[in-house]
Amino acid sequence: MTSTHTKAHLHSTLCSLLLVSALVVSQPVFADDYADVNRLIKANQMSEALSKADQYLALKPRDPQMRFLRGVIQSDSGKTNEAISIFSRLIEEYPELPEPYNNLAVLYAGSGQFDKARTSLEMAIRTNPSYATAHENLGDIYAKLASQAYAKALQLDASNTGVVPKLALIRDLFLPAGSRPSVNVKPTLPTVATAPATPVSPVVAPIQPKAPTVVTASPNGINQPSVAPPAVSNALAGQDAESAALAWAKAWSDRDMKAYLSSYSQDFSPPHKQTRAAWEEERKSRIMGKARIAVKLTEITVKVNGTTGVVKFKQDYKADSLATTSRKTLEMVKSGDRWLITKEISG
Amino acid sequence: MFRFLRCLAACLAVSFLSDGAWLSDSWAQTRTGQKSRAAKARSNATVNYEAEARLIEVYRLIGAGKSREALGLSSQLVADFPHFQLAQLIHGDLLSLQTKPIKTFGDIPATMNKNGTVAALTELREESVQRFRALRDRPQAGTVPSQLLGLSTRNKHVIAVDASKSRLYLLSNSPQGLHLVADFYISVGKSGISKYLEGDLKTPLGIYYLTTPIDPKLLAPLYGGGALPINYPNPFDLRLGKTGSGIWLHGSPPERYSRQPKSTDGCIVLANPDLQKLMATVAIKTTPVIIASQLQWLTPVQLQPERRQFEASLDAWRAAKNNGQAELLYSFYAADFNNYGRTLKDWWPSVAQSLKMAHRRPFQWHEVAVLLWRTEPGSKNPNVMVVTYDEYSPGIKQPTTKRQYWVQAGNQWKIFFEGAIATS
Repeated sequence: MTSTHTKAHLHSTLCSLLLVSALVVSQPVFADDYADVNRLIKANQMSEALSKADQYLALKPRDPQMRFLRGVIQSDSGKTNEAISIFSRLIEEYPELPEPYNNLAVLYAGSGQFDKARTSLEMAIRTNPSYATAHENLGDIYAKLASQAYAKALQLDASNTGVVPKLALIRDLFLPAGSRPSVNVKPTLPTVATAPATPVSPVVAPIQPKAPTVVTASPNGINQPSVAPPAVSNALAGQDAESAALAWAKAWSDRDMKAYLSSYSQDFSPPHKQTRAAWEEERKSRIMGKARIAVKLTEITVKVNGTTGVVKFKQDYKADSLATTSRKTLEMVKSGDRWLITKEISG
Repeated sequence: MFRFLRCLAACLAVSFLSDGAWLSDSWAQTRTGQKSRAAKARSNATVNYEAEARLIEVYRLIGAGKSREALGLSSQLVADFPHFQLAQLIHGDLLSLQTKPIKTFGDIPATMNKNGTVAALTELREESVQRFRALRDRPQAGTVPSQLLGLSTRNKHVIAVDASKSRLYLLSNSPQGLHLVADFYISVGKSGISKYLEGDLKTPLGIYYLTTPIDPKLLAPLYGGGALPINYPNPFDLRLGKTGSGIWLHGSPPERYSRQPKSTDGCIVLANPDLQKLMATVAIKTTPVIIASQLQWLTPVQLQPERRQFEASLDAWRAAKNNGQAELLYSFYAADFNNYGRTLKDWWPSVAQSLKMAHRRPFQWHEVAVLLWRTEPGSKNPNVMVVTYDEYSPGIKQPTTKRQYWVQAGNQWKIFFEGAIATS
């Protein structure tokens, strides 16, 4: 990747963050200051840009937009480590903004750390469930187009090159504020100068630190049968929960819809407020739409407390020509002698 | 993605492409003005170089690590040339690259890995290698195929085929000398080269001439709308007992832009735009077609000693003829001489007759072309000179165009075929 590319990517993200922040952050907007710094960056007057940014930050040291711009200045000035540290801090404080992840990825890629760049980009996509869905859909489309091109290359019957990909439809456009950041963070706006001051979307999500999603405890079972001491019981139950997770991954790999769907509890809450039926339908089309799937779980950790448990792992997912690796958490409940999934959390 | 791209570049062995310095001017021209280029491709099916030059540009961008630009160009390329299989293959890889690492050039999904696709993939990879080889090892400026000892002004063009590179070179001949006009990827016989027998699926090697073209209306779609037959088997082939016929330069079927390097029944097959260009350029009968396992490119100066050595024999033959020295002249002809089936004994009286008048009005020779059919490596066949000329016989105003085949035996050159040839 050339330096011109790096710059181009940084800039495209720079503009969008300004807009997002203008929409999202509930503090006075000093658009003129941002525009000035932005203009100086574009004119490649880095030292002037930096001193202006520093002046501003002396008054408002926590301002995310100006800190972001400062990161861009450092990056453009070749001060990669300083830039990385700025974007990393921003990520810690605002984990739901995709732009710092993107810029961090650009910097990692520029220094040859492609695995870190990949992780960072995956995080950027995961800041918004819609991105992840769009990304997965795009992956399916690329794979399908590739199949078609290969079929033409090899003069195969085009109708023979696998099924049409079933794409997941995003079913909920308007979620309550706070449940996700605005969808209008897509970095498509050309410049700050042309970015309208009017909000693009009425949906304005305040930046809030995300609540931890890990279930750490569950109600103490009152009528728990305790044949074994709790520690032993929990260890055995932990094995059972892990086996259940592995069985779930196998059913998914085998495209065994019956076994796969029966891994989920009656109380399972489908994502995006889908109904259970709609979710099952979507899973069916997505899983059966693939010619082959391989799901591998590694780095599995299990926490069990009575009849509830949390299984965390790294999920290697391969489907046809798509391959992704992500972290996943399954919240489970014991029902009879089976462990069933009540919640499935990515990231 | 960056890492994956580097792998694809390595798979293609295109790293040397990144500077683009080896590209000749004609390639460079097609690299500019992308928009007009695509429009031109649609409006004019005979755009020369077009598809291959654009494919190479895609490779170059991959070599330079610019996968997105490469994907943009490959998208346009397959839109303009949907039957260009090799372009589809690289396009497929560039699309796959958006979602996963590419392990090999033509990284098809496992689900497509069925009977037949392995062979098809191998052939496309070979086509890629062959196109590259030809573009990397360009003939040096000022050199000509070593068969071309001398041409007449009537030979406006020469076609030279290098089977080792799957390449056809089109040269133009003018008072300023020979120069390379264009070169195209070609396919040869399924069983390779050095045709000997009818049905052996091989492409002949040697010195040929274009004969009467086939009326495109009579051609099956397989031939891609045009065919330029060559005179296989020629007198030397017949002398060696070779069989077979119907060796043509022709186009590709509608469903394929180009064919695999070894895929024909013995013909030389071009992409249709390339064949159209060739048909629009060359004259029949007077265009030599050299087919060699590997062409050797030399400067005219380097070819001079061989030319002079043979010209001595040719001059001695002329002198014997104009001096009326029948016995000496007879010694120039091989015992197995042949004139369209006539033996030397049958043919000689007509020669002896013409000699009688030569002392009063001598023979004249014009438009002499001398091509050396070099012994192929590993072949026991001798060198053969193919000499074409206009002969003015005593007392006859109109010249006759004749062709001789001389065979080398030690230091001696002997004529084993001489006869008039059709000129139109």
